[in-house]
Amino acid sequence: MSKDYQLRAAINQKLIEMGERERLKELLRAKLVECGWKDQLKAHCKDVIREKGLDHVTVEDLVTEVTPKGRALVPDSVKKELLQRIRAFLVQHAAM
Amino acid sequence: MSPAGCSHVNGYKVDNWKQNLRVIYQCFVWSGTAETRRRKVLQSDAGWTELAKSCICHMCGAHLNRLHSCLYCVFFGCFTKKHIHEHAKNKRHNLAIDLLYGGIYCFVCQDYIYDKDMEQIAKEEQRKAWKLQGIGEKYTTWEPTKRELELLRHNPKRRKITTNCTIGLRGLINLGNTCFMNCIVQALTHTPLLRDFFLSDRHKCEMQSNSCLVCEMSQLFQEFYSGHRSPHIPFRLLHLVWTHARHLAGYEQQDAHEFLIAALDVLHRHCKGDTIRDDNGKKTNNPNHCNCIIDQIFTGGLQSDVTCQVCHGVSTTIDPFWDISLDLPGSSTPFWPLSPGGDGSTVNGESHLSGSTTLTDCLRRFTRPEHLGSSAKIKCGGCHSYQESTKQLTMKKLPIVACFHLKRFEHSAKLRRKITTYVSFPLELDMTPFMASSKESRMNGQYQQSVEVLNNDNKYSLFAVVNHQGTLESGHYTSFIRQHKDQWFKCDDAIITKASIKDVLDSEGYLLFYHKQFLEYE
Repeated sequence: MSKDYQLRAAINQKLIEMGERERLKELLRAKLVECGWKDQLKAHCKDVIREKGLDHVTVEDLVTEVTPKGRALVPDSVKKELLQRIRAFLVQHAAM
Repeated sequence: MSPAGCSHVNGYKVDNWKQNLRVIYQCFVWSGTAETRRRKVLQSDAGWTELAKSCICHMCGAHLNRLHSCLYCVFFGCFTKKHIHEHAKNKRHNLAIDLLYGGIYCFVCQDYIYDKDMEQIAKEEQRKAWKLQGIGEKYTTWEPTKRELELLRHNPKRRKITTNCTIGLRGLINLGNTCFMNCIVQALTHTPLLRDFFLSDRHKCEMQSNSCLVCEMSQLFQEFYSGHRSPHIPFRLLHLVWTHARHLAGYEQQDAHEFLIAALDVLHRHCKGDTIRDDNGKKTNNPNHCNCIIDQIFTGGLQSDVTCQVCHGVSTTIDPFWDISLDLPGSSTPFWPLSPGGDGSTVNGESHLSGSTTLTDCLRRFTRPEHLGSSAKIKCGGCHSYQESTKQLTMKKLPIVACFHLKRFEHSAKLRRKITTYVSFPLELDMTPFMASSKESRMNGQYQQSVEVLNNDNKYSLFAVVNHQGTLESGHYTSFIRQHKDQWFKCDDAIITKASIKDVLDSEGYLLFYHKQFLEYE
């Protein structure tokens, strides 16, 4: 396991323990709804389902088709804000 | 994707499976804090205890990659790298749960399945976790009950709301100077929360006679959303108003604002049947803390702070209000010439066409500290004597629908006249500068602009405007109402015409109805 990976795991662990992960999730959820990201992806999901047919499509199909688009469509401002929050959290709880 | 479950869960649904599943949801999926997780785990199977502390893939140590937990044994594997798939194949444990979203995956069906019993457990545990975390209730999409499905099947007629459909728009016949009533009816039938309340039949009438105004409102909403395009004749409504608000009876032109307050008052009084009952089935309605739909939507709290000029002690009272009446420049009450710009108007983005007054100017005047003068000394509890004081009004609690009344009709002892000064009002309004909390932080020397801007709770959108044309003696009321997100219509009694946002914002404005942009669950 690379050092980078270890670091990420440790940060994640701390975030979960302090309940910050849940709060960040909520913040992200709210932001993504606000900027219309959720609606965009919902429409894309519907397109995929229509294409593959409702009886044949699996969750895997959706995940494969929608993930790259979802990642690309997240606005930079949202990414920036969450990064700031995580940084602030680490500064506060830096025991590493 | 089958909406029903799959038969492969039957192998799982044996013995104490429900409790085991609950533990998994509580500890790994919807876990609140690390503490609650540890606590829950200690109560259950010791086998889970060691692993509760670290939710990582047993094969590669990853904590991301869509971690899944096997339902048959203590094994975590990531989905993306197919580690959980390997486990499923080797051990023939064909069910796993997605630790991120709580979905159940069946390796035989090769898809997520939705078993009714398991879904039920998942929902219950999620609600419990939200409560523990202090999030309370969250929005979940509507799922029809059996009874509702039955009703839908028996009533197959559907109405589709498209962007240019005019459902909800209907003219109102003028029954003799009743335009003041028609405008208020238009505003109320286009108040989204009120519409939802009545269209979902939430009023349970407890009045014995036929004179319940709330029932009549309910009828009115049915008429407005029936799809009929001919104007409605509100004779029953008019009769009920005359019965319950005698001072408005007669065919003279009345004040639309007075009618609004009288109507809200009668509706509030007649809403007794819709009070909340507590756990023992007892009514918790008490006249000071009514929870009827009118109070939920229209009632705000106005804070009045009286500060003694000698000891600086503050005496605070909070009074309920249904509307805010604002004095205008040109009235006989002193209107301070406030400098254009300054806090308030920049937030609301109003343009100051050379010297014109804005709604926020009026609000700033309304919430400014007012010196009460030596002839109006108050008894100060701190000084134990009569002292001069200043009084300041701020908003303690904002209603969901805020109604602003521009005091255009002056009825002083000296004169009766109409003030036609143009007051510009915005489409979007931020009430933050006028809140009691903002005043407190200003007093503490904090100018926390950034935090307040993030607070969406004080943001409002205009949805109805009532206008008066003419003079005090003879005039006519019309209204603008908002349909869908950005379409406006002018309602002139029986005639409804499309209007532009410019038409609305350029109008004189008498009653301005704003709706909160973001609604939270209590």
